[in-house]
Amino acid sequence: MADDKDVLRDVWFGRIPTCFTLNPDEVTEREAEPYYLLLPRVSYLPLVTDKVKKHFLKVMRTEDVEEMWFEHEGTPLKWHYPIGVLFDFHASNSVLPWSITVHFKNFPDVDLLHCPSNSVVEAHFMSSIKEADALKHKSQVVNDMQKKDHKQLWMGLQNDKFDQFWAMNRKLMEYPTEEGGFRYIPFRIYQTTSDRPFIQKLFRPVSTEGNPHTLFDLLKEMCPDALTKDGEEKRFQVVIHGIEPLLETPLQWLSEHLSHPDNFLHICIIPTPTD
Amino acid sequence: QSMSLSVSPAQTAAWRRQICEQLSERSRREMDDFKHYEQAIEQSVWVKKGAM
Repeated sequence: MADDKDVLRDVWFGRIPTCFTLNPDEVTEREAEPYYLLLPRVSYLPLVTDKVKKHFLKVMRTEDVEEMWFEHEGTPLKWHYPIGVLFDFHASNSVLPWSITVHFKNFPDVDLLHCPSNSVVEAHFMSSIKEADALKHKSQVVNDMQKKDHKQLWMGLQNDKFDQFWAMNRKLMEYPTEEGGFRYIPFRIYQTTSDRPFIQKLFRPVSTEGNPHTLFDLLKEMCPDALTKDGEEKRFQVVIHGIEPLLETPLQWLSEHLSHPDNFLHICIIPTPTD
Repeated sequence: QSMSLSVSPAQTAAWRRQICEQLSERSRREMDDFKHYEQAIEQSVWVKKGAM
């Protein structure tokens, strides 16, 4: 039986085969070939698309190039969500490779945040880690870290260095044994049926009676409609990192092992495919 | 403070076994046929520097 470190490795090294094609409305000097890449599930689009940009710029004139952005089947992809979350939410039941269209004009300001450099991604990533630690440890762990420790987390993610990242991230995953878990579980639930970007509320890993909360307990509290009732066909899949954990899985364990590097557990509720 | 990566009896639980199996299945589904694709991030050597 694989141990828990293998789970962390499997989560970290998840890759999504992706085919990037240039938006046909872009002005080019010659035809642009598609570009194929394996994208790390736990990273962010701006961190892993330098090669894509370089590839398409070869066929474009500088004056026709504005900020690059990505779209899947008409939906602009939010760079500030982890890549795996974007795939699970928008495309998990579609055929691989994942098809992404690359744009260099008409940036959709209403849907997307601008990302002029990777330092914007770094600021977003570190602020998520700080928010998660505020929920887990009242910010104690992240505040006790030095600037170089914060950099180690960021560089680990940016350079896809599992050991470098986890050497520091393990501190963010500790908790007092007697409490049975973090103060609150940092989670975000994304639903295709809601106009809200996601659900994020306070939820403890252990009940007031001292029993460990499960994924079922969280969903029952946050989005009961996502659960299948007795005698009813399953309408929704509850997807984390491309898999569907059993609903009896303890939430604290999920938080420690299936959180993204930003320390949030990202949960996608998507309709069950009908085919 | 406890270490969260230690081995626990819960490892034999059905939910845990199912997660490991599904992660393996995910690798097969998402990666096996695409090993010839280029990796998005180039691997470089990480050198840990001590505090000055």
